[in-house]
Amino acid sequence: MSSNGIQHQLILDGEEVNFSAGETLYEIAERHRKEIPTLCYDPRLEPFGACRLCVVELEGARNPVASCTTKATAGMVVKTQSEPVEKYRKTLLEMVVSENREVEVDPLRGYASQELGKLTDRYQARTGRFKGAQSGQLHATDDNPFIFRDYDLCISCNRCVRVCAEQEGDHAIAAMGRGFHKQITTEFNGLLKDSSCTFCGQCVQTCPTGALADKKALRAAELPEPLQKTRSVCPYCGVGCSVDLLSKGEKLVGIHPAMDGPANEGALCVKGQFAFDFVQHTDRLSMPMVRGDDGELHETDWDTALDRAADGFAKTLKKHGRHSIYGIASGRTPSEANYTMQQFIRRGYGTHYIDNCSRA
Amino acid sequence: MNSPTDEDLVANWRDEPAPLLPLLHAFHDRDGYLSEESIAVVSAGLKIPIAELFATITFYHHFAREAPGQSAPRVCTGPICALHGADALLASLDGATPMPCAGRCDGPIPVIKGQQVLIGTNAEELAPTASPLPVANPDGYEECVFADIRAEGRSTLAGYRQSGGYTALQQALTQSPPELIALITDSQLAGRGGAGFPTGQKWQAVANASGEPKSVVCNADEGEPGCFKDRAVLEHDPHAVLEGMLLAAFATGSTRGFIYLRYEYPETCALLETAIAEARTANLIGDNILGSDFSCELYIRRGAGAYICGEEGSLLNSLEGKHPYPRNRPPFPVTHGFEDLPTAVNNVETLVSVPQIVRRGAEWYRSLGLDGRVGTKVISLSGDVQRPGNYEVPFGLPLKTLLYQWAGGPAAGRQIQAVTMAGLSGGFLAGEDLDAPLDEPSIRERGSMLGAGGIMVFDDSRNIVDVARQAMAFFAEESCGKCFPCRIGTQRLEERLSGGGPTDLATWQTEITDIGSAMKATSACGLGMAAPFITDSLLKYFPEQVAQHVQS
Ligand SMILES: Cc1cc2nc3c(=O)[nH]c(=O)nc-3n(C[C@H](O)[C@H](O)[C@H](O)COP(=O)(O)O)c2cc1C
Ligand code: SF4
Ligand code: SF4
Ligand code: SF4
Ligand code: FES
Ligand code: FES
Repeated sequence: MSSNGIQHQLILDGEEVNFSAGETLYEIAERHRKEIPTLCYDPRLEPFGACRLCVVELEGARNPVASCTTKATAGMVVKTQSEPVEKYRKTLLEMVVSENREVEVDPLRGYASQELGKLTDRYQARTGRFKGAQSGQLHATDDNPFIFRDYDLCISCNRCVRVCAEQEGDHAIAAMGRGFHKQITTEFNGLLKDSSCTFCGQCVQTCPTGALADKKALRAAELPEPLQKTRSVCPYCGVGCSVDLLSKGEKLVGIHPAMDGPANEGALCVKGQFAFDFVQHTDRLSMPMVRGDDGELHETDWDTALDRAADGFAKTLKKHGRHSIYGIASGRTPSEANYTMQQFIRRGYGTHYIDNCSRA
Repeated sequence: MNSPTDEDLVANWRDEPAPLLPLLHAFHDRDGYLSEESIAVVSAGLKIPIAELFATITFYHHFAREAPGQSAPRVCTGPICALHGADALLASLDGATPMPCAGRCDGPIPVIKGQQVLIGTNAEELAPTASPLPVANPDGYEECVFADIRAEGRSTLAGYRQSGGYTALQQALTQSPPELIALITDSQLAGRGGAGFPTGQKWQAVANASGEPKSVVCNADEGEPGCFKDRAVLEHDPHAVLEGMLLAAFATGSTRGFIYLRYEYPETCALLETAIAEARTANLIGDNILGSDFSCELYIRRGAGAYICGEEGSLLNSLEGKHPYPRNRPPFPVTHGFEDLPTAVNNVETLVSVPQIVRRGAEWYRSLGLDGRVGTKVISLSGDVQRPGNYEVPFGLPLKTLLYQWAGGPAAGRQIQAVTMAGLSGGFLAGEDLDAPLDEPSIRERGSMLGAGGIMVFDDSRNIVDVARQAMAFFAEESCGKCFPCRIGTQRLEERLSGGGPTDLATWQTEITDIGSAMKATSACGLGMAAPFITDSLLKYFPEQVAQHVQS
């Protein structure tokens, strides 16, 4: 458990537990399945300490401390649940609900979009108390094809801003203004397409309220079938990001990055995240085709098509020599197929003109 | 004279420490506002992502982003100026915008125009006016902070030296840093910026911490409404501040010092620049100070209008050019301060006490308090008293003595209804609690705090619920917006003090106290923890006014 082999102890809810240097109280509690509520926490990001739902009682401290930002030290005595702490959590959630247009949102909005709803259910926090002005404001004019900036639902947790900076390194968004007027913004409060945004969708998937929502997935909001998830690998490039394909009935409706994907740990790029329409596009080929004497493409069987291709290669080789052949393997194919392609070009034709389209 | 080009400005500041604020000010001063082009140039010059830079600029309320920008008047509408007719003055000035308390509550209303502060109660009267010199107390108690401030020419290097200035530094340089820390520890001097942390202990922690260069920061942000003590010290005794910083630097092993000065004190900034230049010429700042091996550079950095930037974590982020949210603690600045290196952040008043303690001894300082208490505190007193101003009180002086004997009490025929403590951060004291002696434990016992020592007085002609509303509006406006309890809580409390929220008294009260308890227990910094003192004390002292407010 400990990287340097040194074990330390603290008391967590009455039990002595071990931890290693650098661990936060939240991380330790999570290992012990304590279910501390959080809204601004994303395990991939630097702890921020905004929502304060994760506060725990620490013996000797005047106030409860935020477990996500507090590093453990030996001998601490920590209580993750107590009557006052649970009351604060409920009050905080009631306050959050009061600033937000709605809590129940379509899961198609994004991976983490159900977090607020689940917590408010757990704490029965939709009491209608603390009524008042709403904080976030919808960015209605940003008509990009991917991301719905529905800040009416924003609770200012800064997860989007942090994931963009810390995970993506794009720094496309930031929080402007102060206090209750704070808004998530881009440079000069403009459109995402005019910013350094790459439309990777990371901000969408970490948003705990659905304020940033997947516009493409939401096209399927009205489909009646239940939403299903199927683990797969992004077909685009050699990184091999794990994804969860979202489907309703027979239809692929969206993509979630797999937070436990070994290659991507929740990250995707714009293609893997949003460019899935080709899968069920009407133009997509489902049969091999060859060009007839009429100049048009006609459906045919594989033997005929492969014979035509072999014939074409043979003729070209004969007429123009071995360096007239240039192979480009598809980044969407598995390694074995890429290897075969490389052998086919190098061994088959004796040229090193072979490349792969994965140059993202 | 040609105005400097973008490239000139970037070149001037790029390699300086803490360059963002001065570079932004340079553009702001040149153009009167920060254009998108300027922001892009700064972003490229300092390699700060443009979205983040833009957002950070919006955090500060004095950075204008369009013309007329800096030249448009900003009128203080803080709690005391509101009593003096700030709203009418605001309405009478073309293009004027309101600003929170500008630290001049002991006079008429301040209006900032460009690099000048004008004061007056109507448009015709407005004129630049120096800060009043603090008056000696009528009871003849010995002072520390103001001990020599009234000496002839004190604000110049020559005058300062004539009244004993820089002898403390000279003396300290013949001894060792541990001896200086031991002396300050022995004196029991504690932070005067609000938190009251023992200064010797803080310095020891910085001295012990590893990592270099170390820094001292003089916190001159003085954003708390009703506080104007640091301004008086900085204007009338600037060299004492520098000497205090140099002593702090010597004690802690720091080689650089920053004065973080609030935007609203432009004249003070000029005075400090002069003082630093004088001191540098006299080899009091720079390399091998007074021939010793101690070297230290001092820099002034102007804020841009954000109360939270007085909170030390936020201040350090602001200096570093980051978004000025407070920092999560621990770690504390003593180990992870400016640029994550050991840093001593101290208030102006704390620092100016140091040279006096070095000259006169720890025991002398300890003996200044009354009835066994240690030392003195400057109180900025304003509002409905006849002689507002800065008073240095011995700890333990009865509040009533200050209010009535020293400051002349309220106007004839009026009663004091309530005072606010710690500026606004301590909420109200009223009734019998006005008998309290002025020291932190006694004030805390009464559910309030002394803090930075601003006390605002409201007589019985004032609508106390409305005072509370203005106070909460200030906290809501100044909340940094990072943590949920404060960001939402200050807003909801303000709404409830402005006539919003439940109309049933019991429900209204439960909402107020539930929000307040969550804020006090879970807020990420002192702003959110302190704001509910206003509502708590309002409910405690003024239940009838509250009932009337809710039910009408
Ligand atoms: C909201 C807030 C505002 C503050 N503003 C100031 C300020 O303007 N000046 C100041 O010296 N300290 C201010 N402080 C206190 C500082 O965080 C810090 O404790 C102080 O500068 C340390 O100096 P001292 O130990 O000499 O008091 C503020 C604290 C909070 C929470
Ligand atoms: S889509 Fe990606 S690059 Fe664009 S704002 Fe979101 S996280 Fe940043
Ligand atoms: S948009 Fe979503 S992730 Fe971003 S701050 Fe708002 S609620 Fe948090
Ligand atoms: S308490 Fe207020 S000012 Fe302090 S961190 Fe939280 S939101 Fe910011
Ligand atoms: S999860 Fe710790 S403050 Fe939000
Ligand atoms: S200067 Fe206006 S209220 Fe303080």
